[in-house]
Amino acid sequence: MAAAPGDATDETLMVRYQRGDRTAFATLVRRHHRPLYNFVLRQLRKPQAAEDLTQEIFLRVVENASEFKHEARFSTWVYTIARNLCIDHLRKAVHRRHPSLDQPLGPGDEQSALGELVADARPAGDAERTAASSQMMTIVTQLLDTMPDEQREVFLLREVANLPFREIAVVTGVAENTVKSRMRYALDRLRTALCDFEEYARALR
Amino acid sequence: MDCERFDRLVLDLLYEELDELTDASAKRHVEQCSRCRGILAGLRATREVGSLPLVDPPVGLELSILEAERRAREQLPLRQRLGRGVSVLAGYAMRPQLAMAALLLLAIGSSLIFFRARPGDRGSMLVTERGVPESENDSVAVLPAANRAKADDAHGPPTGDTRAEPKKEQASGSRPAAAPVAEAEQGESPGDSAFQAALSALKNGRYKEAREQFESVATRGGPEAASAAFHAAEAARSEQGCAEAARLFDQVPFQYPGTPAGYDATFQAAACYESLGDVEKARRNYQALLDEPNYGARARSALTQLERSADPVAVASRKAKAAKGAAAKTLGDDNIGAGEAASPPAEQKAAEPPPNTIQQAPATKQ
Repeated sequence: MAAAPGDATDETLMVRYQRGDRTAFATLVRRHHRPLYNFVLRQLRKPQAAEDLTQEIFLRVVENASEFKHEARFSTWVYTIARNLCIDHLRKAVHRRHPSLDQPLGPGDEQSALGELVADARPAGDAERTAASSQMMTIVTQLLDTMPDEQREVFLLREVANLPFREIAVVTGVAENTVKSRMRYALDRLRTALCDFEEYARALR
Repeated sequence: MDCERFDRLVLDLLYEELDELTDASAKRHVEQCSRCRGILAGLRATREVGSLPLVDPPVGLELSILEAERRAREQLPLRQRLGRGVSVLAGYAMRPQLAMAALLLLAIGSSLIFFRARPGDRGSMLVTERGVPESENDSVAVLPAANRAKADDAHGPPTGDTRAEPKKEQASGSRPAAAPVAEAEQGESPGDSAFQAALSALKNGRYKEAREQFESVATRGGPEAASAAFHAAEAARSEQGCAEAARLFDQVPFQYPGTPAGYDATFQAAACYESLGDVEKARRNYQALLDEPNYGARARSALTQLERSADPVAVASRKAKAAKGAAAKTLGDDNIGAGEAASPPAEQKAAEPPPNTIQQAPATKQ
């Protein structure tokens, strides 16, 4: 008997979809659209563009479904698609000289909106703690924006997409050790930025 | 584990990607090494505090993706839709039940091909020089009119289609020495008129002429030489009896070793010696055939019969009869119908295996 769609692996669901099972595709969307949206959002920093691009990623999955092989990891495949689409989008944005990429961070732009989104996503606590968390999230978000692209990419794939280093190496097309080095640099930057916060000190204890 | 190795593995440890043994080893090192413990604690705190909470995607994104998927499927090019259809079919085809069903059909189909009735299963049939049933052999040509008439007399009207004569020549030319008795039934290659003439003479009772012609064909060599030598011995048996024929039959397997004619001749020689009362030579010839796949059973049966009847009294009686028969033969054909002159051929006939078994042998050899 076939496993229920919710229990099946991504690869099994993809094979079912290849055979025309649309509920398998719906399960894949439900499972992956949130981390994919976040990955794209952190890369593009624009919610509307992230929404459109997330939809575009799944359309690419539909169009290229017949090429998917069961031996491949679905997550590796779909994040490779996502990464390539992000790179294309950012390249086009550079040609268009989009203001949000040229201008420094400031209130009222979309990056601030992203910061607010992130802060809202934190669990509510007492006012002081919430304010500190919100401040930290803003710092983290700003740090991500100033991070070299290759470090940010690896950081997001590990922390947001939750891909193991081996798969990140496949997605980014570099050696696994290089992936780990980039991740280590990204974490060191973050630690340097956060070490003044009391919450960090508490976590350290 | 030392600090250098720990530095290489610290991220794997942090994200729990190490295998069980290495993980345990790294954790033991951390317990003992304050430097590495500090590094790991710093990284863990960074992850904990600086972790990025996932933002909820806009409401309706999931639905809009599914709607876009539906539209995209409708607009897929025909080739991709066909490919998907093939994929669906292949998916069903790969199911074990269908695989088993296909295997079963294959087994039934192959059994129909490989387990058809064998030539030997049929009561009466025309066979080619090599013992292949005429109806199953495309390379068999139409018999010459005279032979076909004989064949019709013997086996009823032929059922095969008329086939090209050059094909037959090619087939017989590319084959080694043929089964002699089958040739006698079927007729021979039209190209070898001497052999045909000899067969005709043999069938019409002109044994001396047949023997000479067969010996001539055998001397000339070629694919029919072995058969010709065998038939020459047969003609000699009909003309002069077993004393002469046994000698000739004996020579065939030495001149044409490993041929059906050679094996048949060995059997006939044994039968001749048996009818002459020469048990030892008969036994030796039968024994020579015991290991041959198509002759072993018959030889064994004949050998059993021989041993049963080889008591001294019976042998003496047979020898006496054979001597009398030979004497009568030398007196001339005028006396052939009288007295005991008729007995040697009758005995000889009894000693020979039934015609059917001889005819089937080359077919099974194939």
